[in-house]
Amino acid sequence: MSTSLLVPLHVAYIRALGDSKDDLSYHLSAHLRMNAVYWGLTALLVMGHGDALDRDEMIDFVMSCWNEEAGAFGAHPDHDAHLLSTLSAIQILLMQNAIDRVDVDRITKFILSLQQPSGVFAGDTFGEIDTRFSYCAINALSLLGKLDELDVEKTVAYFRRCRNFDGGFGAVAGAESHAAQVFVCVAALAILDKLDEVDQPTLCWWLSERQLPIGGFNGRPEKLEDVCYSFFVLSALSILGKITWIDSSKLEAFILSAQDTESGGIADRPGDMPDVFHTHFGLAGLSLLGYPALVDIDPVYCMPASIIEGLGLRKGWKALQRRTS
Amino acid sequence: MHNVKRNIQTPQALAEKKQREKSKIDEFLALTDDVLSRKKKQEWSDDAFELTQRLLQINPEFYTVWNYRRNILLSGIFPHSTPEQINNLLSDELSLTTTSLKANPKVYWIWNHRRWCLENVPDGPERNGLPSMEWRQANWDKELFVAERMLDADARNFHAWNYRRYVLANMPTRRPEASELAYTSRKIGANFSNFSAWHQRSKTLVGLWESGQLDPIQSRDDEFELVSNALYTDPDDQSAWIYHRWLIGSGEDKSRLEREIQLIFELLQEQPDRCMESLVHYKRLLLQNHSPDSQTLKQECVELLSQLMDLDPVRYFRYQDLKRDLDQ
Repeated sequence: MSTSLLVPLHVAYIRALGDSKDDLSYHLSAHLRMNAVYWGLTALLVMGHGDALDRDEMIDFVMSCWNEEAGAFGAHPDHDAHLLSTLSAIQILLMQNAIDRVDVDRITKFILSLQQPSGVFAGDTFGEIDTRFSYCAINALSLLGKLDELDVEKTVAYFRRCRNFDGGFGAVAGAESHAAQVFVCVAALAILDKLDEVDQPTLCWWLSERQLPIGGFNGRPEKLEDVCYSFFVLSALSILGKITWIDSSKLEAFILSAQDTESGGIADRPGDMPDVFHTHFGLAGLSLLGYPALVDIDPVYCMPASIIEGLGLRKGWKALQRRTS
Repeated sequence: MHNVKRNIQTPQALAEKKQREKSKIDEFLALTDDVLSRKKKQEWSDDAFELTQRLLQINPEFYTVWNYRRNILLSGIFPHSTPEQINNLLSDELSLTTTSLKANPKVYWIWNHRRWCLENVPDGPERNGLPSMEWRQANWDKELFVAERMLDADARNFHAWNYRRYVLANMPTRRPEASELAYTSRKIGANFSNFSAWHQRSKTLVGLWESGQLDPIQSRDDEFELVSNALYTDPDDQSAWIYHRWLIGSGEDKSRLEREIQLIFELLQEQPDRCMESLVHYKRLLLQNHSPDSQTLKQECVELLSQLMDLDPVRYFRYQDLKRDLDQ
C-alpha cells in the first residue's frame, strides 16, 4: 500500500511498455496502440517526464499509422482509419510539437464525413455511433483550428437527445447515464460553449453521488469503484465548477492505493493488474486534485493545460489548487 | 483492462509463461500478417473469409479485421449470392458470433457487427410474387432474444440495453411500447436495484405520455406507488431515489410534493442520509414554487443540510453550497 505517488516507478513502467513484445497481451492490444501511446505520453507529461520516451520514434510510429486512402489515422500500421486513433494521433503530435506533420485538410474532411443526419458522429465508415465519437470529432477539429466548419446546432441537438432524467448523458439517444459518457458530452459542450445545455444542479448532484465510502468513484449507481472514473467524474465537475463537491483527500488516497508498488503503474482498483489506461487516468485525476509536483492538465482536452492555453482553447474550468507538499 | 487480479509471479513462473506464450504470439502474428496482406491486395476470397474468422476468434477486438470480413461479404461473397443465400450467410454470421459475444459481452465491435448484419438482411422470401419481410423479422426477433439473454446474464450491461433499444426501434414490425413497460416491470420486480431498468422505464413512459397512449396523471400516480414500494423495501438503493426525484420533477404539484415529503419522513430512521438528501431537495422545491416567504421551510432545509454535513461528510461542500444558496 502506498500513500505517496511513486513517480520514478511509473515512469519506468511506461517506458517498459514498448518492450513487452514477448507478452501475448501486448500483441492482442495492437488495435489500441495509438490510444496507448497517447495515454503513456500524457501520463509522462503530467509527471514532468515528457522526454522519457524517444520523440522521433514516437512521431515515426504515429505517421506509420496514417491511412493515405482515408486521410486519417488507424491504431497501428495497416489498421483502418478511425476517429479514436485519429484524435489520439493529433494529441500526440501536438504534445510532441510535431503537428506540422499532419494533413489538416484531409483529416478535417475525414472527420466531417462521419457526421450522421442526427448530428452524432460515427467512429468510421462502418457507422457505429456514440457520443464518444462526437467528442473525438469536436476535440480534434478544435485542436486543428477547424471548429468553424462544424454545424454546431446540428451537433448540439444530438447531445440534447442524450440527456437523461438524472441530468447525465448516455452513449446514444435513450442510453443510460454513464460517467465516461457524461465526461465526453460535458467536455464537448464546453468546447462548443454550450454548457447551458446541461442541467447543472442535477448533473453535479449525480456526479457527486459517484463517490463511494471507499473514496473511489463508480461510473453509475450501484456499480464498483474504478480509478478511471477519478478523471471522468472529476473533470466533469471541474468543468461545471463544482470540483469541491467530492472528498478530494479520500479520492487521492484511493488512487494512490491502486498503484502497483513493485512494477509501477496504476490499476482500476487496489490489488488488480495495472495498465497504461488506468495509469493515465489516475494521474490525470491526481493532477486535477492538486497533487504536489504534477503538471496541470486541461480537463476538457485531457492534455497538458499549457499546450491548450497556448492554442487559445482554455475554457472556464477550475481544478483544485496545486499543493506544495 | 478491468477486474484482472494482480498475481505476483516468481521469475521462473514468468519465464515459463513467456515460453508458453511464444508459440501463441508467433501464430497470432503470422495470422495477422497473412490477413492484413490479403486485405491490402483487396482479396475477397473464401480463404480470406475463413482466416478472418480464425483471427477474430483469438481477438474479437481487432476492428480492422471485422471491417475486412464485412468487405469480403460485400465485395466477394454477396455479389455471387442469391438473396436467400445472403440471408443464410447473415443468419450464420449472427449465430457464429453469439459465442464470442457471450464470452466478451462488453466488446463494442461485436455488437456493432450484429447491427451491420441485421441491416443487410435482404427482403424476402417472395410471397405471391412480392418480397416479404419474413427473413428480416426472423433475424430481428432472434436478436431481441439475444439481447434479453444477455440482460438475464448481466442486467446492467449497457451494451445489451442499447442493442435492445436499437432492435425495438428498427425491427420491421414494431412491438407495442406498452409491452416494453411490462418488460421493465419484470426487470425491476426481479431486482429493485436495477437502475438500467428504471432508466428504461423513464424513457418508455415519456414515449407513452407524449404519444397519448397513457394518461400522464394516472400513470404518475401508479409510478409513485411502484417507487414507494421500492423505497420501503430497500431504502439503501439509489435507483428508486433517483427515479422518485424524476417523478417529482419541478414540483409544481403542491399536494403531491407534501405527500411524498411525509412518506420520506417516515423512512428517516432507516436510511438517514438518502432520506434527508431527498427531503432537502423537495422542501427547496416547495419553497421555490409554493411558499417562497416561508422562514420555517427555509430553516428546516438549513437544519437538514447541517445534519447531512455530519452524516455524509464526503459531500460536505455540496451541502455547504446549498446552505449558502438558501441564505441568499
